[in-house]
Amino acid sequence: MSWTCDQTEARISDYLDGAMTSAQEAAFAAHVASCANCKQLLGSVRGVIKDMRSIDQLEVPPRLVYAILDATLGPRLTPWQVFTKWIGSLATPKFAYGAGSVMATCLIILGASGASLKKAKLADFTPSAIYLNVERQANVSYAKSRKYFMDLRVVYEIQSRLRQDENQLQVNPDNVPKSEEKQPGHGDDQTHTQPKQQNRANELARQLEMLAAEVPVTWERSIR
Amino acid sequence: MEQDAQLVQRCLQGEGSAWEELVRRHTRRVYNVCYRFVGNRTEAEDISQDVFLRVYRTLASYRSAHGGFATWVTSVTRNLLIDHYRRTKRDRLTDSLDDAMPVVESKESAARRPDEQALLGELSGQVQTALTRLSPELREAVILRDLQQLEYAEIQQVLAVPEGTVKSRINRGRIELAKILQQMGVRPS
Repeated sequence: MSWTCDQTEARISDYLDGAMTSAQEAAFAAHVASCANCKQLLGSVRGVIKDMRSIDQLEVPPRLVYAILDATLGPRLTPWQVFTKWIGSLATPKFAYGAGSVMATCLIILGASGASLKKAKLADFTPSAIYLNVERQANVSYAKSRKYFMDLRVVYEIQSRLRQDENQLQVNPDNVPKSEEKQPGHGDDQTHTQPKQQNRANELARQLEMLAAEVPVTWERSIR
Repeated sequence: MEQDAQLVQRCLQGEGSAWEELVRRHTRRVYNVCYRFVGNRTEAEDISQDVFLRVYRTLASYRSAHGGFATWVTSVTRNLLIDHYRRTKRDRLTDSLDDAMPVVESKESAARRPDEQALLGELSGQVQTALTRLSPELREAVILRDLQQLEYAEIQQVLAVPEGTVKSRINRGRIELAKILQQMGVRPS
């Protein structure tokens, strides 16, 4: 059975989309082969489909996406607003405590490494410079602490000896030399085993006692 | 399609980034359908924005079992386009200044040779003019089938009409378009 022009026109898309049975295709093709109008129409429709499918999709204007997002999610924040919001979220006691601790730790480390913030240079913060500073600072600290320890030791020794001498004096007061009884040209009665320094110390102690006894008198005179 | 469904779920849980991703994935399709239908870039942008506003407000009503998200969005687009057509009551493309203005170049066309690009640009304008002379029913069917290259079943869902009607509209639309282009002196490929 041959098709009419109307039948053929109504099935052009089915033919081009391959949605026909083989019998329908044969009848369609037979009519198109014998009808110039339908043949031309088929060619035109085929060309239209090809043209339409060759047209590219248009690019979306960039502002459109932002406009849609603004209209749905609300206006976007500016970078400054984002920054201030972020800063605001950090203003908590916990964060302030943590930041303070970190800063104090950094200052301690910087101080220990010998870096000066007033005269800070970029070269001071290289690993080798930090290492050298730390080493020098450690040596200085060691030397200072060693000197302090040695000073303490000397003071302690002096105090110990003085205390020892006082104890000896209290135990045996006869050992105290009596300089006022000593005659010129005569040597003292002390044995040679007593150190001369002890004698000088005892002499000084006596003079100090005498001076102390004189001070109130002097003070009273000055009052008058 | 599965990714769209996941993004929709995340959107419904209040995740703004998921919505942004959905918008970026589907804006091009929506914008192109709108532009091909109304033939005016400004109107196409406005309608696209309205489409996404409506999608955002009715997102909870979307059911992935009833079809893909893209199809659902296209349905919303189509409904708004019809509303717009009824509201304006006239096709403004033929008088639009937009005709004389070059369309925004796509990435694909930028990769072509300048002469090919120029030919395609001219063809795009001619097809756009011819499309606006079609009735809205035929226009939307042809746009969805030949420009957006949707399947018949998807077009059936978007237009909410029987398959036979879809086929008939597409066929009549193509024939009308071929005749209009012929009248315009455009020789088909």
